[in-house]
Amino acid sequence: MKLVFLLLSFLIGRVSLVGESLKPADALAPEYRLNGPSFGEVLGTAKEHLLQSVVGLFRNEKLIAHGVVVHPQGLLLSKASSSVGAGMIQSSQGQTFPIRIRKRDEIKDLALWQITSSPPLWRAVTWKGEHNQTQSGSWVISASPSLEELKFGVVSATSRPIGREGGVMGVLLEESNSSDLGIEVVEVLPQAAGDRAGLRVMDRILRMDGRPVKTVEYINRMLQNKDPGDLVTLLVNRKDKEILLRVTLGHRAVAFDLFNRNLLMSGPVSKRKDNFPLIIQQDLPLQKEIMGGGLFDIHGHCLGINIARVDRVTNYTLPTKVILPTLNMWLKDWP
Amino acid sequence: MRANNSGCFPSKTGRVACLLTSLAIFSPSYGQKQNNSVSAWEKDLPESIGDLQAIQNQIQSKLQMVRNTVVSVEAEDGAGSGVLVSADGLILTAAHVIGESGRKMDVVFPNGYVAEALSLGGSELSDAGMLKIIEPGQWDYAPIALANKSGVGDWCFSLGHPSGYNEKRGSVLRVGRVIHKKEETIQTDCRLLGGDSGGPLFSIDGEVIGIHSRISQSPEDNFHTSIESFLSNWEFFLNEELHTYVAMQKGGFLGVLCEEFQDGLQVVEVVPETPAEDAGIRRGDLFRKLDGIPLDTREKLSILVSSKPPGSFVVIDYLRDGKEISVRIKLGERFVKE
Repeated sequence: MKLVFLLLSFLIGRVSLVGESLKPADALAPEYRLNGPSFGEVLGTAKEHLLQSVVGLFRNEKLIAHGVVVHPQGLLLSKASSSVGAGMIQSSQGQTFPIRIRKRDEIKDLALWQITSSPPLWRAVTWKGEHNQTQSGSWVISASPSLEELKFGVVSATSRPIGREGGVMGVLLEESNSSDLGIEVVEVLPQAAGDRAGLRVMDRILRMDGRPVKTVEYINRMLQNKDPGDLVTLLVNRKDKEILLRVTLGHRAVAFDLFNRNLLMSGPVSKRKDNFPLIIQQDLPLQKEIMGGGLFDIHGHCLGINIARVDRVTNYTLPTKVILPTLNMWLKDWP
Repeated sequence: MRANNSGCFPSKTGRVACLLTSLAIFSPSYGQKQNNSVSAWEKDLPESIGDLQAIQNQIQSKLQMVRNTVVSVEAEDGAGSGVLVSADGLILTAAHVIGESGRKMDVVFPNGYVAEALSLGGSELSDAGMLKIIEPGQWDYAPIALANKSGVGDWCFSLGHPSGYNEKRGSVLRVGRVIHKKEETIQTDCRLLGGDSGGPLFSIDGEVIGIHSRISQSPEDNFHTSIESFLSNWEFFLNEELHTYVAMQKGGFLGVLCEEFQDGLQVVEVVPETPAEDAGIRRGDLFRKLDGIPLDTREKLSILVSSKPPGSFVVIDYLRDGKEISVRIKLGERFVKE
């Protein structure tokens, strides 16, 4: 609250107390900015090569994700959960081709797509070997043929695994004095999973999936091992009557992030942004539809697949090291 | 559990940003540097992959030297960032991160070590803030750039703890360029988020040139308090004085709008029926000193004037048509605009 007040007073201060310059101030012209219109030219001919190895994936004529060409016969790798239902790709030359899904890895969130009516040869990406160490401060580039652009950024933090968020009910719970009374629901977030399932404030949860629950921690542990979309059954005491409720667990992001101002300032983010064995974190200014496309170094080697837009300063890329074992196994079917 | 930082970037940022960016009118003033002997980062744009590599190498070498100086600053109601600038634990941060003087806050180092710190002073006008680590020690610290060393077009990098401290992730790097610099504000295309507030903006030489202050709706122009604001008011901030809007309302009042020039503050408007008008101050006068203290930032003028009560006198030395004039002015009370 105090912060809001400060800022308001900042506004007032700028306007009425100090005043602004009467002269237009000098600003850096857009063409000199990082990711300005001319910046990509620094790569020379490599720019076209990069754009040619990435395609946009469309569902009902709407761009939903990107993918990288991994085989000259028109095989593409993309982010599985973002490319669901894709029926068509657009190449860097603006041509469109129908595609069909061939393989999917739910854990790594990868999918292999095939262009079904393919022209002879596609330019496949060159993977940067499995042993690369992507250090903070290394340039990284993403290409989007549909938007006809390259974006430049840097590796911005330590590569690391990203844990599972777990499913959420979107309720706040409190332990009763006597554990026999169950766990009390003290708040229900509107429109979240618990609300939709009919859970109400003052309800007391006695059992979850048939197991007696005595502590909030126990419930949280059980939920941690489930994913959004999973179903849990609750035995609830409501006004001394026992009722059964089925809750389809929601995304943490959807339930709680509505209240997180950082995300309000970030715009649309990827639905799935957790539970990856290893990620490279980078600061590219990417829309969520760019996910599934490749991340490249300045020499045009592919470092991995952009796997999640997390917020306005954070994207995750699934590194080559994680991708190649799966991809190589898949590609055995295509000599 | 770490405190959620969502309190750190005030929610009205979008509106503020609109106000400020509307002034950043396009002007192709950035110079045409094409000398082959200059460093890659001194060129208008990198011209080759080799230039990109050189910029990368430079940033990575400086990053190594300063990354340990970037801390998370935490209180019950939120978290921001900060940067150590002296061996005895002085930290530069944002005014809206400390909130007030004399407040105990936790400082979390990149390795997870937590030290207790006390908030000193700052200014709500520029959003500059200072903190000092309480326990004695020899801390790693980052160098500060000299005043007016950074300018539009410079490559720079940002560090901070967006969304709060995360041990496995560490501090987060963003790279960009200075796209605008004026008065107490630097604007860059380094992308920022809540929790970054108070974190450092470094020149490509690894010197602190700004402190993250506010984000704009567009991810690619964000606001930093300039290091000049700190340098100009260093002693005031260090002495646990916080320049607040409330203080400005209550303190003495002069009645001029100024703009910073190389050798003083140029009066761009004299408010009618104010002490300044009564004293004969005119648009175009160049303020040099107040009570003998050189005026290098308009924030300094604001601090000096409002730290005196209405009714007290100040002596202002100014230049008009090349002539030095000295005038004694009785400060008035600020009238509140409707």
